[in-house]
This record gives sequence, structure tokens and C-alpha cells, in this order.
Amino acid sequence: MTYLIREATATDLEPIMAIEVECFVNDAWSKENMQSELAAPHTYYLVAVVEDFVVGYAGSSQLDGATQADIQTIAVKPNQRGSGIGRALMVALTKEAKRRGAKEIFLEVRADNTVAQKLYKIFGFKQIGLRKQYYKPDGVDAFVMKTSLLPEVVAEPLVLGIETSCDETGIGIVRGNTLLANVISSSMELHARFGGVVPEVAARAHLEALLPVLEQALAEANVTLDDLDAIAVTNGPGLAGALMVGVGAAKALAVATGKPIYAVNHLVGHVGADILDQGSLTVPTIALLVSGGHTSLLLVKDLLNDVQLLGETIDDAAGEAFDKVARVLSLPYPGGPEIDKAALGGNPSAIRFPRGLTLPKDMDEHRYDFSFSGLKTAVARHVELAESKGEEFVVADVAASFREAVVDVLVNKAIAACLDHKIHRLLLGGGVIANSRLREVAIAKCAANGIELRIPPLSLCTDNGAMIAILGSQLVQGGYAPSTLDFSADSTLSVTTIQS
Amino acid sequence: MNTVTSTKLPNYSLAIDTSAGTTVALLSLGSVVAEVNYLEPMTHSERIGSAIQTVLKQGQVSPRDIYQVVVGRGPGPFTGLRVGLAAAKFFAIGAKAELVGVCSLDAIAYSYYLANPDQSLPLLVTTDARRKEVFWALYAGIIEGVPTRVEGPSVNKPEYLTEYLSGQKHVLCDLPITASALGQVAYYQALTDIGPSKDSSPIYLREPDAVPGKAKKVSG
Repeated sequence: MTYLIREATATDLEPIMAIEVECFVNDAWSKENMQSELAAPHTYYLVAVVEDFVVGYAGSSQLDGATQADIQTIAVKPNQRGSGIGRALMVALTKEAKRRGAKEIFLEVRADNTVAQKLYKIFGFKQIGLRKQYYKPDGVDAFVMKTSLLPEVVAEPLVLGIETSCDETGIGIVRGNTLLANVISSSMELHARFGGVVPEVAARAHLEALLPVLEQALAEANVTLDDLDAIAVTNGPGLAGALMVGVGAAKALAVATGKPIYAVNHLVGHVGADILDQGSLTVPTIALLVSGGHTSLLLVKDLLNDVQLLGETIDDAAGEAFDKVARVLSLPYPGGPEIDKAALGGNPSAIRFPRGLTLPKDMDEHRYDFSFSGLKTAVARHVELAESKGEEFVVADVAASFREAVVDVLVNKAIAACLDHKIHRLLLGGGVIANSRLREVAIAKCAANGIELRIPPLSLCTDNGAMIAILGSQLVQGGYAPSTLDFSADSTLSVTTIQS
Repeated sequence: MNTVTSTKLPNYSLAIDTSAGTTVALLSLGSVVAEVNYLEPMTHSERIGSAIQTVLKQGQVSPRDIYQVVVGRGPGPFTGLRVGLAAAKFFAIGAKAELVGVCSLDAIAYSYYLANPDQSLPLLVTTDARRKEVFWALYAGIIEGVPTRVEGPSVNKPEYLTEYLSGQKHVLCDLPITASALGQVAYYQALTDIGPSKDSSPIYLREPDAVPGKAKKVSG
């Protein structure tokens, strides 16, 4: 579903009133009140429209030359909630208030309306007062809330992005939608002897790498910290101890430089990375993100407002499965490129390894979910069985057959998501995209199904700071208020929380 | 006309320690201007930004006026410790301030001697290292505001420490660490010939828990 936000006109009165009555019941304004609100010279009313139907509205009031604005009302039809329309209306209102010279915005909200309060908090609103029994006839109190955190709308903002969610310390710098620097320091080699990422080793490496990576990024972009318009940082999902290094550094840098800070979602950053390659992101799109830490299938309707999780791995990430199978085959870490090499010349149909969560009984509940744990076990059993019988097995066949099983499931489920949702667009992201067979099969099957496939360059697919910077830049360009300084590092941050 | 590269007077320093809770202080020539202390041991990354902002606001000082950032190097639980170290590094580069490191246990010893001027017995400072162990250091006294650390920092089981120090009379202290004390130690170190340490690397004292992997048997 795509929606449009436009200024309200007198002809919107009827549909607005229908929503007003549905949403506010006892507190609903009269038609006459609403009519004069829409017509008043000091008010600014917007409607959200889906397929020519008004599904939400919001209005503010600000006297000529006043530095204070009031949000008068905001409502979204109940069946249209949860897709970011309320947030988009708030963005448009705060942007306009700022344009008209507001320094502060006030509003009143029912004390029992926690959903609305949560929305307002994103925009920096804090409770400053209480009006007892304000809402008649229910006798419910009103919280008076205020924000002075108005977005600085910059057309081509210079944004620094910090990424420390796993084993890459990444700092990127973008101006508008243009990449200026993308510096990455990986601790991968330190993890090699453990056969997988060790969180404490990764976190130690982040602390050591941060400063040199920052200095190199500034030098490559040929900018100084003073030039920045904003700082963006990954606050989840990822390894908690690793995330905290970046979050602590970013917050202190924001305070030291007086720059606004945007706490953003790592997975949504992977989606945004395509903007750096293409100049824009075409939505809606299905996105398949595959790395050592994630295997997620997303439905992206709006990068800043509406990202939904269709499915994810219920056990190991795909990259983890590659690492574990590499160990079974006595290949070094990281497993992905090693298995790619070992599979050269192997027969992908030699062994029929299981495709997780693809049986009819699984498809009801886990249509877009993944499972690689059983596959890994099947490979190990195959190898052990051969060894116990003293038989030789062909490593190339095992590697190729295993890889084929992973690729099959990934691509088939992504294609199914595209077809089910009638979205003929698929975006790939994450380090496992480096796998040559995955790219080959994705290209072939997308072409066969008339699906447009986007694969950003690998330097933007693996974890990096540039994708965090571009997501921050998009938020600044969209007029989103910065995050408040008390956000936390959230290892299980939901993909629907694009900005914290 | 010559270009002036730094116009900062050595007036304001910002001290940060997250080796236990989150503690941040603003000092002027070694005197405490403002301080924020959160004792809880889990919320460093949430607290650190607003804690710094709060002391600057209370002291009505711009980040650009900070000439030195003092950071507690630990020892302490790693995850929290790193938040303060990362914040200190990035605050220092953002505010164009110098960065110095102080062993966090030294700040506790400083607080002890401030309250108890008697230095006739060695002072044993311990903090919780989890896993039934303690971080510890032994101090002989305090000279010109700088605690004289004679042993440690180390990590051991309390029983080991008791046995190790059995022949030696000493006093114990378990005061909390404060950023104001940390900042004062750095201030007095700067007045000595050696000066404060530019080393701001973490004092971990333990290797990461991880064993090099081998392929595991899956079936019997």
C-alpha cells in the first residue's frame, strides 16, 4: 500500500469527519468546528490518501510570526494503522511548523492513549503538564507535551555513519545520497582460529579500530567533524557488546560536536545501501538480507516509514551454516568463500540435502522463514558416515550439494515473497551475497519470473558504515527529528523500528 | 600574524568512568564543577550521552572549552568498561581535547586517602570481577595527590589474595569509583614530573572466553 500526504481542502470535510467520529467517539469535534478549523488562516491541515480515499489527517495551528505551534489533532483509520502513516503526518506537520519559524511545538493527548504518546516521543515530545479531566464527557486527564527538537531540514546533508554490530568496524560518510567514504576494519582474521565470531573478541577490536577508522574516513571524504550535519549509528540488531562500543562513541561525538544523532536499524541500513549505488531506492521491494548474523526476508514499502519482516531464520543464519559446514569439511574460516572454492567442479545434485522449512506442513506457519540447522547436521552425518565406513567422499560434491540446498531455499522463498505480494522487485544485501552461486541462481530465477533484481556492489552489501550514513541522511532529508540521547543498544531490535 | 593553533586554557577537564556504574564529572583546575553518578552496572550505553551533556550544562561549559578528557581504564566488567573508553576517545576528538587514562582503582584509593589521611598501613582496593574473583591493587600511600600503587591491578580469587597478603597488615576499602576522583588523580599527575599517562587502552586482565574450534561430532 502506498499513501500520499497532501494539504487538506474543504472537500475533505466529509471523509475527515467520518474518521473523526470513528476514532474519537465521545471526544469527536462537531462538523462545524472541523469546518472552521480547515478554513482558518492560521491552521495547516493535511490528509493521508490511499487509492483516492482519505485514511488519516492531522492539523496544526500557528499564528503568523509565532515561534510556538500547536498540534491540534491527528487520526488514522484503525484499519490503516501500523504502516507509518501517523509518523509521516507528524513529520510533515513538524517540518511545516519549522518552516513557519516555530521553535517549539505543543500538544495535548489523552492520558490513556499510550499509542499516541509513543509516537509523540519519537518526535522528542515530553510531558510538561497535566490538565485534569480535560476530555469530556469521559473525564480523562490530558497530558500537555512539548518538543523543541525540530528537524533541521538540509537538502544535501553531510552525514557520518558508525556501524559496529558484528565483526566489522565501519565508518562511512555521505553527502545527500552520494558516497564520500566507506572505511571498514574487519576483525575476521582474529575469529578464524575460533571458527566463528567471538563477541568479546569483536568488541575489543571495535574499540581499537574506531579512532583510526574515523580518521581515515574523514581524510578520504576530505571533510572535518565540524562540517557534519548529523551523526548516525547502528543501535541494533547485532551483538550487544559490539553495538555498545559504537553507541557510546557516537553519543559522545554528538555531544562534543553539538551535532544531531540518529540511532538507526542495521537491517534497514542494508536496504538503504542501494541508494548509494542507484541514487534512489525503488519501492515497494522485497529484500533478502543474508549474512553471518542474519537471514531475513523483508517487505519494504517505505524505507523510512514502513518496513515489515516477512520471515527470518529460526536457528542459524545462512553465513553461520557455511562456517559450520566448512569446519565439518576441515576448511578454514570464513566458510562462505572456502565452500565456494571447494564446490568448483562438484556436482550440486550428487547428494540431496534437506531444504529446511519447505515441506507443505512447514509452509503454513513458516512460509518465509528459514532453517539451516538441520542441513548442517545432515552434511555432518553424511561425512561422518562415509568416514566410519572408511569410504572416500568427494569434498567438491558435498560442498556443491550443500551450497545448492542453501541457495535453493533462499532464492525460492524470496521469489515466492515477490510473487505472493505482487512486487516484481528483489533487493539482495548482506555478506553472503558474495557467494557466486547465490547470485547466479538469483539472476536466473528472477529473470524467469519477470522480477527486477538489485544487487549493490559487495562493498555496500557487507556490513559497513556508509549504509548507516545514507539511512541517517535520508532521515535528515525527510525532516525526521533526531533521536534523543538516551536510546539503548538493542541486540534484538525489530526491523519495524527504523529509527530509535 | 601567527596562527594560534590552540586557545584552550587548561581549565576544564571531563572525566569518564564506566568500570562499575556510569560516572562523569566536569572539573576546573582539579576542583569538581559538576558530577553525575549512576550506580547501576548495566545501563552505560543508555546513560553516557546524557551524563556528559548534563555535567556540561550544569557547569555552563561548551565542549570546546574542554582541554582534557580523563578516562578510567578499568579494570572492570568489559562490556561496560568499553562504553566509557569509546565515548572518551570520540569526545576527545570531537572537542579537540587531549585524552589521558587513569587506572580506575587509583580513583578509589584517592577517595580513601581524602577521607582517611592515615597512611601507616598499606591500602588494599578491591572491586567485583564477577566469577567469584576480585580486581585488586595495593597502595603504599599518597604523594602530592597521586596514590602510590605498589602492586596490581590484578585479578584473583579472594582466598588467594588473603593468603598472599597473610603476613602483611593492611586496610581495606570498598568505596565506589567516582569520576571526580579520577579527574583529580589526573590533575595531580599532571603536576608531577612524569605527568598523566596518554595510554587510554582498557585494562582487561583476562583473555576473551573462547576456545579454538574443532569440528564437532554430530552423530555417535
